[in-house]
Amino acid sequence: MVGSDGCSLSPYTYTCIMAVSSFSSSLLLPLLISSLDWLSTPGSAFLSDRDHMTSSAPLEPHFTECISRDQETFRCWWSPGTFHNLSSPGALTVFYLKKDSPTSEWKECPEYNHSKRECFFDVNHTSVWIPYCMQLRSQNNVIFFNEDDCFTVENIVRPDPPVSLNWTLLNISPSGLSYDVMVNWEAPPSADVGAGWMRIEYEIQYRERNATNWEALEMQPQTQQTIYGLHIGKEYEVHIRCRMQAFTKFGEFSDSIFIQVTEIPRRDNTTPLTLILVFGIVGILILLMLIVISQQHRFMMIVLPPVPAPKIKGIDPELLKRGKLDELNFILSGGGMGGLPTYAADFYQDEPWVEFIEVDAEDADTAEKDDNQGSDTQRLLGLPQPVSHHMNIGCSNVISFPDDDSGRASCYDPDLPDQDALMLMATLLPGQPEDEEASLDVVERAPTPERGERPLIQTQTAGPQTWVNTDFYAQVSNVMPSGGVVLSPGQQLRIQESTSATEDETQKKGQECEDSEETEEKKQKELQFQLLVVNPEGSSYTTESNAQQISTPPCSPMPGEGYQTIPPPPVETKPAATMEDNPSPYILPDSPQSQFFAPVADYTVVQEVDSQHSLLLNPPPHQSPPPCLPQHPPKALPAMPVGYITPDLLGNLSP
Amino acid sequence: MHMMTVKQRGVWAVLLWPCLLTMSVPLDCKEEQGSLSRCLSISQEKLLDRVIQHAELIYRVSEESCTLFEEMFIPFPLRLQRNQASYTCITKALPLPSSKSEIQQISDKWLLHSVLMLVQSWIEPLVYLQTTLDRYDDAPDLLLNKTKWVSDKLISLEQGVVVLIKKMLDEGALTTTYSEQGLFQYDVQPEMLESVMRDYTLLTCFKKDAHKMETFLKLLKCRQTDKYNCA
Repeated sequence: MVGSDGCSLSPYTYTCIMAVSSFSSSLLLPLLISSLDWLSTPGSAFLSDRDHMTSSAPLEPHFTECISRDQETFRCWWSPGTFHNLSSPGALTVFYLKKDSPTSEWKECPEYNHSKRECFFDVNHTSVWIPYCMQLRSQNNVIFFNEDDCFTVENIVRPDPPVSLNWTLLNISPSGLSYDVMVNWEAPPSADVGAGWMRIEYEIQYRERNATNWEALEMQPQTQQTIYGLHIGKEYEVHIRCRMQAFTKFGEFSDSIFIQVTEIPRRDNTTPLTLILVFGIVGILILLMLIVISQQHRFMMIVLPPVPAPKIKGIDPELLKRGKLDELNFILSGGGMGGLPTYAADFYQDEPWVEFIEVDAEDADTAEKDDNQGSDTQRLLGLPQPVSHHMNIGCSNVISFPDDDSGRASCYDPDLPDQDALMLMATLLPGQPEDEEASLDVVERAPTPERGERPLIQTQTAGPQTWVNTDFYAQVSNVMPSGGVVLSPGQQLRIQESTSATEDETQKKGQECEDSEETEEKKQKELQFQLLVVNPEGSSYTTESNAQQISTPPCSPMPGEGYQTIPPPPVETKPAATMEDNPSPYILPDSPQSQFFAPVADYTVVQEVDSQHSLLLNPPPHQSPPPCLPQHPPKALPAMPVGYITPDLLGNLSP
Repeated sequence: MHMMTVKQRGVWAVLLWPCLLTMSVPLDCKEEQGSLSRCLSISQEKLLDRVIQHAELIYRVSEESCTLFEEMFIPFPLRLQRNQASYTCITKALPLPSSKSEIQQISDKWLLHSVLMLVQSWIEPLVYLQTTLDRYDDAPDLLLNKTKWVSDKLISLEQGVVVLIKKMLDEGALTTTYSEQGLFQYDVQPEMLESVMRDYTLLTCFKKDAHKMETFLKLLKCRQTDKYNCA
């Protein structure tokens, strides 16, 4: 701040600052400040922010403002002040000093605009970062100069307002009362922002239509900004201005735009609808809950039906539960007095599914040859036979319950399909003492296929028995590996006593054996077994209750099986098949005469059905010959072999 | 005043974060053959961006320092002296372009050299400014921190420009040749007011030159990226 004469000049004090500098700093500054305050400047420098127009002194011609819009050109405007004689155009001339070198001189304004009292400096005359000083001179070389009228161009830049100001709705609040808008614009075209010549930041201001105060948003250099929290229904006025970054002078405001968002009517429509829906759904839910609660039990029945418990007629279901095998064995074997009721006589009545295998005496021989065995019937009847066929002795006392604890290893086929409470018949005639399990399989499997299982459990008594002149049983003489059971016609049965049984049986057969009836017929004749209740004279079975002839329909329930000889399964299958609704295991009840079993070592025969409909197997072998079945008046079984109850008969008796 | 101080503190805090960025990656990597260079080499565009960023920040902080100083030490009537004081800036003798058209006419090389000249000529005065400011009784810490920051950043700006020159112009490293020592007589202890005014002048001059640097670099960048748009 050294002036040309070495003395720093201040327009306010008109004193040499150099002289002032001799004072100590602590005294100087307050003095200086106080001295400066009550001095007024004759001319107000346009760069000053303070308003010095307080004095009544004559206002000499001065510059009102110098502005650059693009940092490449600038304009200066002057005013004659109170010197009205100088107000005519041309009375005052503008001179400027560009302090770019110590030898610079005052030059005249390159371009006048007298109508506006403006001096325009174009690109060629404009230099940035170099101080300019402006001076007014009258015609008679009176200089009106204010040192404060010196500036550098970048400090007088006021950019043009931004252009293309518009807004878009961003979102509306859920309450429908306020919304946000995004305002965007473009940089003023005069400002070369793209090249980086000017760095501009923007300021948005908005207010409600009739308000007086503007809300200013934060300045930022982007060309868009969000206004939050405007109210629906009110009209807003928005305008924008900009300035160079890190500078102080703002440009002018742009033209205002108006923002207004009216209420959207459809919101009113949807809200009650939504409410109605919600309430309706809630009400329906409550109603459903009430219904469910009131009908709880029925729903429980539907959703979780009770699982049928295992049941054997005559046997307490409790015993069938796990862990009570011994007791059940005991009962079924006829140990207890509360054993199986003697329903033997009744079992064969009207049971279509009861089938008896009838074996003709003629075919017995042929069968014998085929089987290459001794006559099974003879064996049954106690004729001397090799005691080799005790294959199922191991099963004699075993009731093969489908129980894990049972002695399944020997008598039970673990591969049997799972049937509820499947009681499997373990009848294996020891014709071929080979494959206990195989024969068991057959026996057990046979019932399964078509109609569920009517497993017949037969306990075998010890000792083979031979039947004289009769073939009561369908003797499983051989079991094929494929599961087919080979029945041999065996000995003759007392067929004449078991006609009724045949009739029923044939009826059933007609249903069942559609396919291979012809062959079946033949074989039926051949293998006409009758399960008869045989008088135990010499044998332990009475034949009074020869209810049915069990024909031997070749039609096995498993057509695919390879039955080579006489299809034996009917004994097992047919009866089993027709037992539809009684999944409980069946044990052919033996006649009450326990000693029936004595001659029939090959079969496990159900001796009795006790009062609880449980089957007694393995009756004591040396009992007195049981009375003939007809002695059991309640149920007169026609020609039923003592030891057998066919499943359908049993089903008849079940409650 | 309090609001301004708070605002400035906030801006100060915001401005300081780029320091981490700039300090984490060295600008210059010495590519010596056979030696492990631990630093990552930076691309030219990124380097130029970073240099511009430096310059922008330096200008902003210098402007704030100037304003702070002015409010603190300069009586209001004397504040307008800054415009006139620019004539006595230390860099007035430097042959620098002063208009957009002039800048567009000079070459990249000269532009970079101009920037380098400016930077190098201000390093020492800023250090001097620190010492004088410390002598003031009531200089606010904010002002001291800002000026300190600026002087530090200026040094890294110089490094950046040197590397840029090396990369863009394939020239060797330049030494400091433009420092003007004669302007400051350190032996004479200036009086308070003179010192104040001198510092004020210094700050305003530096502010102007920082703006110059920033503009030079930006125009250079425009030239580098899109020659057709930088009319």
